[in-house]
Amino acid sequence: MVVRKRSFIKTFLFWFFIALVVIFVAYPFAYMVSVSFRYDSDAFDPGLIPENPTLTQYAQLLGLQESIRQQMSEEEEQLMKLLESLPEEQREQVLQNIQSSRRRESFPFLRWFGNSLLLAGLSALTSLIIGIFGAYSFSRVWYPGRTLVQRGVLLVYLVGGVILSVPLYDLFVRIGLTNSGGTSMFALYIIYIIQTLPVSMYMLGNYFRTIPESIEEAALIDGSTRIGTIMRIIIPLSMPAIITVFIYAFMIGWNEYLFASIFIRPYPGAYTLPVGLREIFFSEHAVWAKMMAASVLTAVPVIVLFMTVEKYLTAGLTAGGVKE
Amino acid sequence: MQRFRELSPLKKKEATFGWKLVSPAIILIGLFILYPVLYNIYLSFFEVSLTPGVPNKFVGLQNYKELLTDPTFWNSFGITMLYVLITVVGSILVGLGIALLMNKEFPGRGIVRALILFPYVAPVISTVFAWQYVLMPLNGPLTILLSNLGIMDVTKDLVNDPNNAFIVVSFYSIWKNFPFIYLMILSRLQSIPQDYYEAADIDGANGWQKFHHITLPELYYVIGSLVLLRGIWNFYKFEEVYLLSKEARTLPIYLYEKAFTGLPELGVAAAIATVLFVVMMVLISIYVRKVLKW
Repeated sequence: MVVRKRSFIKTFLFWFFIALVVIFVAYPFAYMVSVSFRYDSDAFDPGLIPENPTLTQYAQLLGLQESIRQQMSEEEEQLMKLLESLPEEQREQVLQNIQSSRRRESFPFLRWFGNSLLLAGLSALTSLIIGIFGAYSFSRVWYPGRTLVQRGVLLVYLVGGVILSVPLYDLFVRIGLTNSGGTSMFALYIIYIIQTLPVSMYMLGNYFRTIPESIEEAALIDGSTRIGTIMRIIIPLSMPAIITVFIYAFMIGWNEYLFASIFIRPYPGAYTLPVGLREIFFSEHAVWAKMMAASVLTAVPVIVLFMTVEKYLTAGLTAGGVKE
Repeated sequence: MQRFRELSPLKKKEATFGWKLVSPAIILIGLFILYPVLYNIYLSFFEVSLTPGVPNKFVGLQNYKELLTDPTFWNSFGITMLYVLITVVGSILVGLGIALLMNKEFPGRGIVRALILFPYVAPVISTVFAWQYVLMPLNGPLTILLSNLGIMDVTKDLVNDPNNAFIVVSFYSIWKNFPFIYLMILSRLQSIPQDYYEAADIDGANGWQKFHHITLPELYYVIGSLVLLRGIWNFYKFEEVYLLSKEARTLPIYLYEKAFTGLPELGVAAAIATVLFVVMMVLISIYVRKVLKW
């Protein structure tokens, strides 16, 4: 080994580039976090460190504190007093008006968060289960037409979501899956499964091939069924790949905007995070601090998930066969 | 290939089992991917009606004619090609540079490596808001920084100006997607045997020569495949472009607005999708033959 002493300039340049990389990567995140700890009125104060740090944005988003929008204005409170003298029916009417106008202005972050969690989680789980059996089939079992199946799964890479948006929308309108929030969410559930299924199968298939077949054969000789060996041998041994695929599929559902905006736009109760946040962003102004807090809360679950399995993730990604 | 009925009973059982396992996946993919692709081509010849009871009207090549004579379409087409070119080249250069940097040991490497994955991992919607904040005209910290450096005017709205929105969107795409490239290249770099470099050292090769004659040839196929993958993905990219700035009028945005905003023209949108698909297929087949030599 030839040992060469690194010159001072080289070391300096090296650290300079490392610093550049860190700034390049972290710049927008730094502001996102910083602004999320400010009051809306301080959102554009210069500097990264907030002068009057506050947790109020987070508390409001998480429903721990009433936002100004939810608090009654003085006018409304006076109205409430007047209401007490009104007859029952009229009072109901006015109350409903007040409530509906307030609901329109509120920021149901937790609701959207829950919707996203439900949709992304369920579709990733379903895709994983179907994917495990599918991948096992084309990586371990021989049958005529297997190559066709493998190639077909790869071919699906060439079809982007945008291309499917028109025919799928038309299709789901015709089946009648777009006429309520619930059915539209079901349509999204199916779409998220098919968007993640090819990659689940491909990644899992690659992983299954690395498990020695002799382990399985031993179990088969001991009288285990094929399904039994999948459950007791393949699945436990593939846990790293399975977790990676789940998180990957989860991310796709968590990020998805195209289909969500097409299908659930008319049903605010069914909004997922991307659709909800974008609607809020364009409908109200001067909510920068709250938008940033919401962005942090949207990012944290996935970043934490990824970081805990970073090692597996890197291996899974680089094993080839990744789809966004 | 052997035919099914020529198989031995045991093999038959095995084959049936295999098909059973894979059938849910095949049915889903067939029903919701393959069929829609064909149905899309079919729709592109119709004036699609979304009113129940009113049938679609066959218009032949009318949608395509309308599309190909529309200057907005050609403009979008050009922007898309430029966007793909800039983002693919840019993210590969950035990813390669950073992978080379991270291939060396240094204190704190673990933290920097984890940090590098952030843009790729963080949801599009969050990072888009962060970039919109720093690029705000007048108030955005990056806008102020750039104007202090004399690069641009502080009143300039980078994000929402149709003239340059696509530059911001391209930059964002590079920032967001380079970690994927970086990961792939880094893992390939780490599998290059060290003795190649030791031998080159003995021959007195300098850093550039080692990079040019050892590293680059070893990376050829990884980079080749990455260009293909990123090319395909960026060609269809919707979320990252639309959410940051819908003023960057790439073809997917054009399609979305035709199909789902204002007066929906699903037939025309289907024609756009078909054109996108055909262009993509042609580009891929040329690329695979010429560059990857499959």
